[in-house]
Amino acid sequence: MNSQEIVVGIADYKVAKAPVVLSTNLGSCIAVCLYSSLHKAGSMLHIILPDSSSGINKDGIKTAKFADTGIPEMFNKLQQVCGVGINDCVAKLFGGAKILQQVSNNIGQANEIAARAVLKQLGIRVVAAKTGGEKGYRVKFDLITGKVQCQIFGEEIMEY
Amino acid sequence: MAINKALKFVAQLSIDKASQALSRFIRVGAKIEMDDIYMADISEITGKLSAESDEVVGAFIDLGGDVKFKFLFFVNAQDSCLLADLILRRPVGTTTTYDQYTSSAVQEIANILSCGIASVFTSDFQLGITISPPTVIHDFVGTVFLEYFMSIAVEQNEVMMIETTFKIVQQNINCHMFIIPDSKTEKVLSYISNTL
Repeated sequence: MNSQEIVVGIADYKVAKAPVVLSTNLGSCIAVCLYSSLHKAGSMLHIILPDSSSGINKDGIKTAKFADTGIPEMFNKLQQVCGVGINDCVAKLFGGAKILQQVSNNIGQANEIAARAVLKQLGIRVVAAKTGGEKGYRVKFDLITGKVQCQIFGEEIMEY
Repeated sequence: MAINKALKFVAQLSIDKASQALSRFIRVGAKIEMDDIYMADISEITGKLSAESDEVVGAFIDLGGDVKFKFLFFVNAQDSCLLADLILRRPVGTTTTYDQYTSSAVQEIANILSCGIASVFTSDFQLGITISPPTVIHDFVGTVFLEYFMSIAVEQNEVMMIETTFKIVQQNINCHMFIIPDSKTEKVLSYISNTL
């Protein structure tokens, strides 16, 4: 079956049912993938910052930029659109690299920690993750199988 | 912000200066053309660019002071080898893989181009500009864009993009240059363009 590919940009998420492939490129950002094998449905969120309390979160700013606001919002959408419950849902995390070596703070790592904390609070299990490093990621999330193909720049494609 | 004829003129002026500076530096004609100037949603534009999986070498620079821009120059990794040969005045084809020389070549070209752009504002409009050292990344094109967008995307949902492509004469090298003014600079640009 041919799957439609939907690309997810930064500060955005997409919710879909199979046959769809959700894809994105990542640097220090994190892609949070939620999947229900029962519903053959899933979603991908592309966050850039750990939390919305840094004062940047002005009126009208996209909530999908932040782990603490983006993940619950995406899960609610997945629940509304596809009927996925907390117990049906698992999470996979990708990205969080430290691309810019001259930048002292490791925003990628902070994004991953925040994403894991939010998922734990929601009661969603993280079943796979490939994070960190110094190179970019390219990920493709197949909603037929729930598998994620992840390629780190200069390396082979791995499946999670 | 409205993108009017005057603003396009300022952008074109900057690109022409960059083009001349680069041609002088590599001693080969370089023609830069403005493809488009437009307002873009950060999710849509990065989604569009993330669809590409090419291996590129990119350099980005922050221009600060009276007007603030984020500048990005990138070229296909294979073509960055040709650029290195041109800059080092070696026979084209000598460099075959990405290394410190190709990284330096891209870094240097980004410096030349951004200084060309800055000179329009300093000499023609008497504005003060500071230029950061270039950051060079060798990665997927989507990742280079994401890192370039990162600091803007934190505070803005929409950006003004000035998109260009250019060709180096006789070598068939296609390069790309993007300039994003920050939201406060859009007001300065608007003021400048209204006074023209």
